[in-house]
Amino acid sequence: MERINMAFTRWRVFATLLVAFALVAAACGGDDDADTAGPAQPAEVLKVAFVHVGPVADKGWSWAHDQGVQYLKAQLGDAVEITTLETISEGADSQRVFEDLAAAGNKLIFGTSFGYMDPMLAAAENFPDTVFMHATGYKTSEGMGNYFGAAEEGRYLSGMAAGAATETNLIGYVAAFPIPEVLRGINAFTLGAQEVNPDVQVQVVWTSTWFDPPKEKTAAESLLDAGADVIAMHQDSAAPGQAAEAAGAKWVGYNTDMTEFAPTAWLTAAIWNWGPIYLATAEQVIAGTWKSEAFYGNMAGGMVALAPFGDSVEQATRDLILEREAQIKDGSFSVFPDPIINQDGESQPLGDIFGMDFFVEGVIGSSSG
Amino acid sequence: MMTRRFIVEPRGLASPRLKLAVPIASVIAALVVGGVFLFITGENPFAVYAKMLDAAFGTGRGFSETLVSATPLILTGVAAAIAFKMLVWNIGGEGQLLMGAVAAAGTAIWLGDGAPAVLLLPAVILAGGIGGAIWAAASAIPRVYLGTNEIITTLMLNFIALNFVNFLIFGSHSPWRDPVVATFPSGRPIAPTARLPEFFNRLDAGIFIAIVIAVAAWYLLEKTRWGFAVRIVGDSSDTARYVGISVPKKILGVFLLSGAAAGFAGGLLVSGPVGALDPRSLDLGIGFTGIIVAALARLNLVAVIPVAILIGALSNAGPSLQAIGVPAATVTMLQGAILIFAVAGEFFVRNRLRRPDRVSEPILEAGEPA
Repeated sequence: MERINMAFTRWRVFATLLVAFALVAAACGGDDDADTAGPAQPAEVLKVAFVHVGPVADKGWSWAHDQGVQYLKAQLGDAVEITTLETISEGADSQRVFEDLAAAGNKLIFGTSFGYMDPMLAAAENFPDTVFMHATGYKTSEGMGNYFGAAEEGRYLSGMAAGAATETNLIGYVAAFPIPEVLRGINAFTLGAQEVNPDVQVQVVWTSTWFDPPKEKTAAESLLDAGADVIAMHQDSAAPGQAAEAAGAKWVGYNTDMTEFAPTAWLTAAIWNWGPIYLATAEQVIAGTWKSEAFYGNMAGGMVALAPFGDSVEQATRDLILEREAQIKDGSFSVFPDPIINQDGESQPLGDIFGMDFFVEGVIGSSSG
Repeated sequence: MMTRRFIVEPRGLASPRLKLAVPIASVIAALVVGGVFLFITGENPFAVYAKMLDAAFGTGRGFSETLVSATPLILTGVAAAIAFKMLVWNIGGEGQLLMGAVAAAGTAIWLGDGAPAVLLLPAVILAGGIGGAIWAAASAIPRVYLGTNEIITTLMLNFIALNFVNFLIFGSHSPWRDPVVATFPSGRPIAPTARLPEFFNRLDAGIFIAIVIAVAAWYLLEKTRWGFAVRIVGDSSDTARYVGISVPKKILGVFLLSGAAAGFAGGLLVSGPVGALDPRSLDLGIGFTGIIVAALARLNLVAVIPVAILIGALSNAGPSLQAIGVPAATVTMLQGAILIFAVAGEFFVRNRLRRPDRVSEPILEAGEPA
């Protein structure tokens, strides 16, 4: 019993000290609040929060979202007060983060990674007065909408650039997780590459990461060693591009214009423009007209775009790609044919692309990861 | 003789007052250094610390979330403490937690909705402990009978366990994978009857189970004949052999108990807040953090409980600090600083700094004839 008593005594003193410290800190914090309460705030300020899985400085996925946040800030100014949380792990514990944000008075909360879906759904149930918006998922509820876009349109076009650039006819694809979003990207990319180069094959390596530059770089290097001379990727880092640059190969990026990381290797990329959806959603919440829905943007609407071409992309290829881009935008060309030829060379119905679980002909690798 | 340098020497038995003073002083030192760091990076240290406390203890939800985070940490802390006390270097708490989760989720899926909750729930949690113990056995048996180094084997088995979990969910259509949304690899949700009911926000009875296990482990080790024998082994295996204690059996027992404790953490996560074998919710380094918990608790199985609560509070404070504008990297550095100071403080419980010339008197007295 002596030991247990001692442990509790120790804990009690510890706790008392912490509480004392809290009181001092709270007192000082109180003064601070009084100072900032001075300048008059606009009557209705919408508190908006963003939760990202990686650092916003990744110059990839999270950065692209943060560019959208900057756009929202620039458009609405003092009418919105924005909180951004970065490097928040996916999974069950993220529910705490979303609920903390809701409890702190945020009335509109965006989560920009797939793995936040169920935690956000649970948080939305507990905070019915808060609007939750989840990117890339497939579930919605009364309090939670989702939004995403047809990256496959941009992927197809960037695949055309890759297909024209390869000399070994082997393109390496550093893939994230075997989910429909990623499979759509790989398939669209492959179809685009095949349009300009029917002999091309795309070899896939899975990393099970969204942002882990060393791992993604190693994966790219393994593909280069296997004979690939163009690297494409899905993750949020530029590491695969740096591996391609070092090996004298070419690179198709994703998310943002990443020319600066590998200027010689850079071909182009499917990139995101999240600003308009953030602005539109905030305006709807302010006006009280927001309704839960699944929003799927595209190139015609501007959510998806094609990054500037690298110097090595030939003019003839550029013309071809821009022609296709115009057809995609006016609706006269769709990326996926129906029926579609799968990896085994068999024709199958396209089915629901949001549940895509197969590879098209010409992809080397397993579609289940 | 004239050197003014300090020498480090073991303190022998530290007084209870010192054992109390040192951790408090280390935490204060950590807060002061962290405060200076925050001030230099343009933050108000008081506002930051007030926010940390408020996030972790200030509201009912905050405190309940602290306890949710503390629950698995108590158990991985017990796992590390019970093993380290007996000089069994089990650093495989991470893998044992994951395999406990595999066993717990597997049991819940296998027994399914049919079984009544009164049977299903204990079976699921117990399966967690058994899964952890079996995974620990993979290191314990070679250690005891072949003399392999358990530091290496437990560490390596962590990675194998994680890859096995990833294989079950991402790499195959195993029974653990959700068949309903077959194309989005995720863990199959277990039956509601296999889940601990939440009674305050996300908090469930797991916290009480964890505390009971910690106290039971303490009782077993400190108050039973078996525990007494085990402690003799921990102090000196030669003595233990001399008095006729079977050393291999005792080491095996401690190793398996340690694995079971970590496995229970996995079981309580699956039957509690996670509700499935979800790699993203389980692969959080809870097993490794348990080693820090055990070290700070000075391997005391009951002290593990408050330490786990404090570490849970510390890790939960991160997003709240970002919300008041403290950069994510600063938060991580602050958390690291507090931990390093707390662990470093332990050094001064066991050792002290002294000037050599002050020590010299008693030595001379003993060495020279008067």
